[in-house]
Amino acid sequence: MRARATAILGHPALGAICRLIIGGIFVYTAIPKLLRPDDFARLVAGYRLLDPGIVNLAGITMPWIELIVGAFLVTGVLPRSSSLVGAGMLAIFMVAGALALLRGLHISCGCFFPLMGGHTLGWDLLIRDGILLLLTLQILAWPSSFVPCLRRKPPV
Amino acid sequence: MARSLQEIPLSGHAHSRSGHSDALIVILGALAIVIGSSALGIAVNHLSPRGIPLLPTPAAGPIRQEPAPALSLPKGLEPITILDARAAIDKHLALFLDARPADQYAEGHIPGALSLPSDKLDDTFPNLADRIEASPFLIVYCDGAECSESIHVAERLIEYGFLGTRLMVDGYRAWADAGNPVTKGSEP
Repeated sequence: MRARATAILGHPALGAICRLIIGGIFVYTAIPKLLRPDDFARLVAGYRLLDPGIVNLAGITMPWIELIVGAFLVTGVLPRSSSLVGAGMLAIFMVAGALALLRGLHISCGCFFPLMGGHTLGWDLLIRDGILLLLTLQILAWPSSFVPCLRRKPPV
Repeated sequence: MARSLQEIPLSGHAHSRSGHSDALIVILGALAIVIGSSALGIAVNHLSPRGIPLLPTPAAGPIRQEPAPALSLPKGLEPITILDARAAIDKHLALFLDARPADQYAEGHIPGALSLPSDKLDDTFPNLADRIEASPFLIVYCDGAECSESIHVAERLIEYGFLGTRLMVDGYRAWADAGNPVTKGSEP
């Protein structure tokens, strides 16, 4: 039973689907943030968690981390390291979002930046982040890759 | 075929050593991704015409928790204070436009303000065009100084030719906190 569950959860096709979903979302949401770092930094400031002195630094670097992680996940370059970073970012988004909601802030979540203003931060978005976090854990446990030379070799 | 670490048939110390070294490689890879991506972002931001200061100074930073006169705004867009906005409205010189999502507008907005959500601008604008065109000045706002919906709406209005568009940088929260009138519901 356990072996069967492991076989299903660790199936390369499932890994590829997880990588494409998470990687695609990360790339899609990163690009507009890269193009408007000032707007994204304002959104980060809206959470009122970071010192104003480092808000710009976060606004500049976070979209690039998101983009590189997304591209690595889609292609399968360093899948476990990429998914670890992705999981960390999603965990940070969830904690920051939960703190903002508990403090009663009505702000744009900034997660799907192209639809700015349409995504007011809410618990539903945190649940969605939680689901994405589970997908990153699948990749972390059973890494797969589209790049043949990067695939894990079976033990001799 | 991809296999998990647990599937690799190693045992005892060999398994443990392999697991530790694998975990270390994964963590080092993650650190390399974070550091490399951040360095790339800082470099591109430095070279980009849209780049922002890495560490904002009180006078030049575009991003701050509290609004200030030096706030960086798109070309052609001028800020207006809450006091001046209140005076303009009282003299019937201006029209408020609320750029926040419709649900936030319904929870509370400035009396008389029209809802013009930034993400539904193209759909909403035609229905409000007559009323917007009738006003000599337009004052756009969103939740506070850190939101950017109002900037996007104001930019589009200026593109449409409404050169009397002003941005109430402090936003709805500061308006309400200052004791100015507010109302609820989906109607102005």
